Amino acid sequence: MMGLTPYLVLSAVLLVLGLAIVISKRNAIAMLIGVEFILNAACLNLVAFSRHGIGALSGQTAALFVIVLAAAEAVVALAIFLNFYHTLATVDIDHGDKLKG
Amino acid sequence: MLEKVIFFLFAVPAVVAGLAILLGTNIVRMAYWFSAMLVSVAGLYFLMGAYFLGVIQILVYVGGVAVLLAFGVMLTSRKLARLRPGRGEAVWLAGVSGVLLLGLVLSIMHAGWEQRQIVAADSISEIGRSLLGDFLGPFELVSVLLLVAMLGAAYLARPKAQTHGPRDGKGTTI
Repeated sequence: MMGLTPYLVLSAVLLVLGLAIVISKRNAIAMLIGVEFILNAACLNLVAFSRHGIGALSGQTAALFVIVLAAAEAVVALAIFLNFYHTLATVDIDHGDKLKG
Repeated sequence: MLEKVIFFLFAVPAVVAGLAILLGTNIVRMAYWFSAMLVSVAGLYFLMGAYFLGVIQILVYVGGVAVLLAFGVMLTSRKLARLRPGRGEAVWLAGVSGVLLLGLVLSIMHAGWEQRQIVAADSISEIGRSLLGDFLGPFELVSVLLLVAMLGAAYLARPKAQTHGPRDGKGTTI
């Protein structure tokens, strides 16, 4: 049986990849993909811990909440990006400071 | 042994997808790689015995969020934003990510959690009980949050009010 460690290492790798994507991309949608990577890494952690007897099944329930929140966040963020695009004809987040008001 | 093989069968595509997104420049391909990552994480959930969560991951993420992102890409990609950092930025980024990854992996290796495998319980009914038991408060809050997100997204993405719109009532906006 495999232990906890491989899952945690994979989750750390996914977290770092997501962080790097969020930092390096200027396209707002690519950034959103990075955020989803980070959330998936967190979910993987929660499920791995619940699998290995720490916190019983509440890890899976918490992961369920994370998935719901991620879906809601993606919907609202995409609505904002569509508005952004209609206003500025680009989704380059370097122009995000023009969105005031 | 078999578990290890299956683990790598799902873990490698997830990491490859992340690298492809990080290094790639084509935003449409990024959306594709993103759904590949989601499917492999769902496979890992199945491997860990979290069957319900795996199904939800495929339903909500692959069926919902990934499709939404694909539409977002198609609706906003007429003029592409810069997708690749400059050389100096890339060096910085690689350094910071490398240090962060190293720290995380080292702390995981040395944490020494007590590990006892729990047999895959009757997870759907258990999750249902815990949703309406310990997690009742967050559960209700999430339902309110979903309503707020739905209304907010519909409000934000509505068509802009036209000042010279048709007067016959057909082209009216909210």
